[in-house]
Amino acid sequence: MEKSEIESRLKEAIARVLKINAAEINSDSNFVFDLGADSMQSVELVAAFEEEFSIEMDEDQALGVQSVGDAVEFIGTLVNQ
Amino acid sequence: MTKNIDTVFNPQSVAVLGATRTKGTVPHDILQNILDGGFQGVVYPVSPRSPSINGVKAYKYILEIEDPVDLAILVFPSSVCHLALEQCGEKGVKACIIISAGFREVGPAGVEREKNIKEIAAKYGISLIGPNCLGAINTDPSVSLNASFARKMPQAGSIAFLSQSGALCTAVLDYARGKNIGFSKFVSFGNKSDISEIDLIYYLGKDEATKVILIYLEEITDGQKLLEAAQTVIKETGKPILAIKSGRTSAGASAAASHTGSLAGSDEVCDAIFRQAGIKRCHTIEEMFNIATALAYQPRPLTNRVAIVTNAGGPGVMATDACIDHGLELASFSEETTEIFRRKLPKTANIYNPVDVIGDARSDRYNAALAGVLSDPNVAGAMVILTPQSMTDIDEIAREIVRTSAANPGKPVYTSFMGETDVASGINILQSNHIPHYILPESMAAAMAASYNFEQALKIKRLPVEPAKDVDKKKAQKLLKAAADAGHKHLPEVEATQVLAAYGLPVLPSFVATTAAEAAKFANQVGFPVAMKIYSPDVVHKFDVGGVILDVADADSAGKAFEQIVASVKKAQPKAEITGVNIQKMAPHGREVILGLKRDPIFGPVVMFGLGGTFVEVFKDVSFRAAPLDSYAVGAMIREIKSFPILAGARGRTACDLAAIEDCIKRLAQLAVDCPEIIELDMNPVIVQPEGEGAVVADARIML
Repeated sequence: MEKSEIESRLKEAIARVLKINAAEINSDSNFVFDLGADSMQSVELVAAFEEEFSIEMDEDQALGVQSVGDAVEFIGTLVNQ
Repeated sequence: MTKNIDTVFNPQSVAVLGATRTKGTVPHDILQNILDGGFQGVVYPVSPRSPSINGVKAYKYILEIEDPVDLAILVFPSSVCHLALEQCGEKGVKACIIISAGFREVGPAGVEREKNIKEIAAKYGISLIGPNCLGAINTDPSVSLNASFARKMPQAGSIAFLSQSGALCTAVLDYARGKNIGFSKFVSFGNKSDISEIDLIYYLGKDEATKVILIYLEEITDGQKLLEAAQTVIKETGKPILAIKSGRTSAGASAAASHTGSLAGSDEVCDAIFRQAGIKRCHTIEEMFNIATALAYQPRPLTNRVAIVTNAGGPGVMATDACIDHGLELASFSEETTEIFRRKLPKTANIYNPVDVIGDARSDRYNAALAGVLSDPNVAGAMVILTPQSMTDIDEIAREIVRTSAANPGKPVYTSFMGETDVASGINILQSNHIPHYILPESMAAAMAASYNFEQALKIKRLPVEPAKDVDKKKAQKLLKAAADAGHKHLPEVEATQVLAAYGLPVLPSFVATTAAEAAKFANQVGFPVAMKIYSPDVVHKFDVGGVILDVADADSAGKAFEQIVASVKKAQPKAEITGVNIQKMAPHGREVILGLKRDPIFGPVVMFGLGGTFVEVFKDVSFRAAPLDSYAVGAMIREIKSFPILAGARGRTACDLAAIEDCIKRLAQLAVDCPEIIELDMNPVIVQPEGEGAVVADARIML
């Protein structure tokens, strides 16, 4: 899967969970500091990404991902395995 | 860099970074508490997603706030605190409180995060409280800042409370509220990554609203600086410092190679250094506040002579016992006072100290008794005890005590209304009017004694340290280096004696014999009787391996003693390298004392003095001080031991040469400061001669 497609679908999923406009989301946006995700929403985001891309993510590793760009990279390696 | 502690307590504007709308969370409650506390400045919520929180306009980033921000409170998760702090730096924020946990206290990843935020703070010159803390409170009505997640703003008062534990703070606030205790400043400093208890002590020393400083500490990172800060503030401002240092029982378990090492456990040293600093060490929160309220609200007794007024004989006796136990005395009343009592109190009353106004006493009798004792020039302070009988007009008695105390402002008045429900409203009257109250008369006596002791501690002098000039530092360091280079963990007695001699300590002349014939020859030279001791780098406890024979009377015996010592040591410790036998003139008889030093990991070089000899660890009659030492501290540590009267010539005995002991302690402290490679040192015994005749070091060991 192309990175651009991953990024686009990822932003939609983030916008859905955090109830924000997808256009506000940049690749360097920090989930907590810029997008305001709290701890519950961080877990919800991991679940949404798993559903969106039909993957299973290691929870500790997934919660360690800080920015949208890092999430694109992380998910990219899983979907293209 | 000067730390902006004043900005923490007196900001014009505060930003809460990471604020949320979710009630019951720390980020929400911090903002709400600032609003509810009636903060007199401007507050800015900073929240990535909420345009407003609790009716206050919120900003996505602190950089979007147009006006300057003095203080930032960070409640973001620890993983992004560095991003928030970086923006605080760009905004020109002067101080930050990082509430968030997840730093040094959680392990290596947290250590790295804490290092990172310290670097960012240093880059921008931001002063930090925390991380991992409850926050800070300033009750001054012109500020009224509750920048914490403590439930309610405490009432204003003159006690400052500093705590390393955040959770303890909330419990203390609740406890204090129940007792009408007010605070000037309240701060939890958590991991103290930047601002520590030492900085706060100096700051509160200058804070006009603070009269008493209370500290709860879990770890001391720099004992020498804490000692210096406390000594300076107490001396310059007269403000008492009370501290609880928890974790008293865990440390100090490592095996010690010397008597000093064994006696100077970390908690004993902490106790001694606190005493040296003038800090009153408390063991419970209750004890701390018992004493703090006394010091904050009442004058200190100028002498240890106090009076007790009671309507119950038993509690009066209990209070008397407690007074004596704590070093107070019951004052003898003047003729005028007893005459007043004869006229105003019933015949059945006890008009001497403790004054018993009898069980049916009402407020008029209490008033007469309290006014009488307070006007007596022999009385430095009064303690009033009440038990609730059916005719006792408790509230009126409380009001009389308040009035009489106000009319005698120079002398402290403490109270103990014993009971629970019947006395509750009377206690409330007392506490609301800053009359300290104690459930138990014993606690009241302990607080009075602590207040008196603090008054005495203010008289402790700090003199310049005057190092002896006739020392050969280079020679001592050379001997120590040679031993360390050879891989020795302790200096054999001969070298140890040479190190001590280089510092002018009074050692006995000695020679090392390698054969029995040499032993006889050297013994003749030093003069009989002689002491003979094994000389081996591997033997520390010479007595235990048969390595010492004392009082050897002639040359023939010296030769035999040599053979006996070598044989005993070879049997007891076959692998020990034996260099020879040390022949030393027998020390003259006299009082045996011990001098020692231990390098404490927190407080640095600590000097010990006490009654010496073989049973030093049984009696444990020793005192400690952190080096360097001035002559006042040296004198105090000699007088502090229980057996001092023996040295000073109790019961008609000849007094010891105390000046010689003082000189030895001073030189030992100088050696301790000059030679950090010495980990532990014992001089035991040091034989002290009668006054004017000096002292000699009979045995010594130095551990590296």
